[in-house]
Amino acid sequence: MKYQRVILLFALLFTAGPTMAANDSLIPGDLMNYIGYGAVVFMLLLLIIVLLVLLKTTKILTRIILKSEGYTEQEIKKQLAPEKAPAKPKGNVWIKLMSLRPLSEEKDMIMEHEYDGIQELDNPTPAWFMYLFYGTIIFGIGYLLNYHVFHTGQLQYAEYKTEVAQADIAKKAFLSKSANRVDENTVKLVSDPAVISAGQGIFKTNCVACHGDNAQGMVGPNLTDDFWLHGSKINDLFKTIKYGVAAKGMPTWEKILSPKQIADVANYVKSLHGTNPAGAKEPQGTKETDSKLASN
Amino acid sequence: MQPEKFYYDNKIVRDFGIATVLWGIIGMTVGLIAAIQLYHPGANMHNQYTTFGRIRPLHTNAVVFAFVGNAIFMGVYYSLQRLLKARMFSDALSNIHFWGWQLIIVSAVITLPLGLTTSHEYAELEWPIDIAITVIWVVFGINMFGTIFKRRERHLYVAIWFYIATFVTIAVLHVVNSFELPVSAFKSYMVYAGVQDALVQWWYGHNAVAFFLTTPYLGMMYYFLPKMANRPIYSYKLSILHFWALIFIYIWAGPHHLLYTTLPGWAQSLGVAFSIMLIAPSWGGMINGLLTLRGAWDKVRDDVILKFMVVALTAYGMATFEGPMLSLKQINSIAHFSDWIIAHVHVGALGWNGFLTFAVLYWLIPRIYKTELFSKKLASFHFWVGTLGIIFYAVPMYWAGFTQSLMLKEFTPEGMLKYPNFLETTLQILPMHIMRSVGGAMYLLGVIVMAYNLLKTAKQGSLVANEAAQAMPLEPVHTIARESGWHRRLERKPIQLMIAALIVILIGTFVELMPTLTISSNIPTIASVKPYTSLELQGRDLYIREGCSNCHSQTVRPFRSETERYGEYSKAGEFVYDHPFLWGSKRTGPDLARIGGKYGNAWHYNHLMDPRLMSPGSIMPEYSWLLTQTLDTTTTRAKIHAMRTLGVPYPVGYENLANADLDEQAKAIAGDLAKDHIKIKSDKEVIAIIAYLQRLGMDIKANKTDKN
Repeated sequence: MKYQRVILLFALLFTAGPTMAANDSLIPGDLMNYIGYGAVVFMLLLLIIVLLVLLKTTKILTRIILKSEGYTEQEIKKQLAPEKAPAKPKGNVWIKLMSLRPLSEEKDMIMEHEYDGIQELDNPTPAWFMYLFYGTIIFGIGYLLNYHVFHTGQLQYAEYKTEVAQADIAKKAFLSKSANRVDENTVKLVSDPAVISAGQGIFKTNCVACHGDNAQGMVGPNLTDDFWLHGSKINDLFKTIKYGVAAKGMPTWEKILSPKQIADVANYVKSLHGTNPAGAKEPQGTKETDSKLASN
Repeated sequence: MQPEKFYYDNKIVRDFGIATVLWGIIGMTVGLIAAIQLYHPGANMHNQYTTFGRIRPLHTNAVVFAFVGNAIFMGVYYSLQRLLKARMFSDALSNIHFWGWQLIIVSAVITLPLGLTTSHEYAELEWPIDIAITVIWVVFGINMFGTIFKRRERHLYVAIWFYIATFVTIAVLHVVNSFELPVSAFKSYMVYAGVQDALVQWWYGHNAVAFFLTTPYLGMMYYFLPKMANRPIYSYKLSILHFWALIFIYIWAGPHHLLYTTLPGWAQSLGVAFSIMLIAPSWGGMINGLLTLRGAWDKVRDDVILKFMVVALTAYGMATFEGPMLSLKQINSIAHFSDWIIAHVHVGALGWNGFLTFAVLYWLIPRIYKTELFSKKLASFHFWVGTLGIIFYAVPMYWAGFTQSLMLKEFTPEGMLKYPNFLETTLQILPMHIMRSVGGAMYLLGVIVMAYNLLKTAKQGSLVANEAAQAMPLEPVHTIARESGWHRRLERKPIQLMIAALIVILIGTFVELMPTLTISSNIPTIASVKPYTSLELQGRDLYIREGCSNCHSQTVRPFRSETERYGEYSKAGEFVYDHPFLWGSKRTGPDLARIGGKYGNAWHYNHLMDPRLMSPGSIMPEYSWLLTQTLDTTTTRAKIHAMRTLGVPYPVGYENLANADLDEQAKAIAGDLAKDHIKIKSDKEVIAIIAYLQRLGMDIKANKTDKN
């Protein structure tokens, strides 16, 4: 089928999108995304068109086949559009469920007044409607009793306390089993490439906006030179990242990064020392002469 | 007695009809531009006047008050005359009403892009326009009741009950929600603050939906549907029950917009309970409409006008079932602040209000032009493209809302937020936003086709400006026999009916508003919460001008996922100096209640200049004009004075020192920015807005430090 090829082509184009973007293609990621979304919308529309064409084709094909088998035009028509069985009289179930009266009784229910030709019927309110109404009123009263008279339901602040308490228990249970318990006192300087590359990933997503692509410093200080504002030891770095320095605009990361992630990124920053990136910001803070040594 | 001859005024109906179509197209186009900005911020044309925060209110005002508003008046002026067998009370008042209303809309189109706004949703217009609205609304009321008094039909039909309830309730809502203290010609402060202001606003906001988008449309449905289908109304009893139940219960439901905020728990619970009770009364209208079509369903297959009506009623039924469900705490905790709500309101607005309006236009224009509709095919095309448009709009928005909310609530096993960066969740739903704008564009296309179709229809016919009619004059009251039903008796007493409706809607109003507005123990104060400095106050007004609260909330709900993300949940006492409150109703971006001190001044400066510098991929617009425009400090004195009048405890004489104080704080911020090599004069607007952002949430933090 020729359509298959078109579909495949677009499927390929779509799946290729992200990979191409990742390879620093000339087309910016943004545009690539839009092309991707456009392709998705286009694909969907195309799919609808293809389905319609297919439907039409089957109809035409059936007609041709039936004709070749010697059916007359009339018989073909019958085959393609079989007459619908006469609709059953509108289900009594429906009328009963809605507690409606048969239409034939309507003329007895017409009220005597009319407005600009508009008449009104004297139908009772449907029973199910009244049950619904009473039901919701009972719910409403029950709701107020539950929260404000019997206090069986928790209002928002109690609910919050419960939620946090439960989460704390779950968190402690999880952390006691994992190796994620590092803090500013226990963090170690390591040069394991796995740690450094994990740290690099975190740095790229969270830190470059202020410290620059190569940690050369922008709004935030240069992290590759010998000068440090809040200490150069791995423990100091961990602490600075974790708690932030509000006065200088360094955010707190402890809610965003896990302890392991903070350790990784701190180690990555340490690994950048002395890389002398282009466009480095002028030194800030005090010179830590032998920072490599001091950090151990 | 001889029948009297008189003429129906069709010209005024035609005028409101034209205004409906015209403003509809404008309002929806603005909506489309706003929708595109949510994935392509550059669609603001790099211009402050067309940026999301300013045109989103323009969109809502244009579609609610201009499109739907004019459609209401069109429907009321057409049906009222015929139901009462009388011409409108005064042609002069009709014309004042028409031109006055258009003038109000034009003033909204001018002031909202200029950033002149009260920030109260669906009541953004500033105080002079509020006064104009009041005057024109009264003109409408006099004209309506004048017509009622000179009627030739003894009893009032159900449609008119709905019109009367609309008139009194909107009057009450508008007046109470417009208690503002003017500072200058186009700037005012809300009299209420914080929690109280929020309650008043959402009592208003919710009931604007009830009494502007629902009751007048139910009234129109009761007139036009039986006319279109040529069928009697299914049940008179149901009309009575659902009318009174609807207006009584609706007014209580406002607090469901404020669940999990600092609104007292009892008020929240009342809002939820009454929202659930609202299902049946709302559905009463839908079933009475759908069952009126009983025996006419074969017509629905061929008649595009009835198709519009059926979809309108179904959309109404869906939205009024979904609404109560959304007010349940468990569902609300996911849906609130998300795109889910946008989907919900658009099912109502596009389906119910839009489609009913189109049906009425298609039915009424050929009649007053004494001709046939120009093209049934085009109308049918409009129906299908409109229906598809609604689906393409709503489905992606439900999807987006659900996805983003669940992402924001997701935790890792380590007990950390899975998506600590809000932006990640935004980027996830951008394809949905693209789809949504496609749906919106389809819907708009349908309206444009309708405009063409109606124009052609009008051209091939000629307007019957004054349509001849005759009816018997009313017999004196004493000649009519005493009627058995109490409601039947009430139906011939318009003033008593109006008073009854007024009493019914005031019950819920008083029970909910009065305790919150008057009993101070409902709002516990916090000692460390201090008034804003003059610079912060100016910054706050810029935040209002730019419409930041259209995308950023300022209230942290007591959920673990929010306290982890934003910090401690909000306390009622934090908002006592917030005239108006700025809690917002949608989080397109993150909450800002605790943004103060989270980032440095330089971060904010760069972020406002170009958000994508600090948050790659962000969809926030660039606020570059804040960097170049000079802060207007001539208003400082008046603002401080107004705030003190409203009860904000500025020391005596502070207004004289306010600008000196402002300069000092601005210089400090500019100096801090200079340390980061950002050269900016201290008198620029950006300094004020940074000062305000850095203050947000700091009072509570200060409280903590004091205790330690």
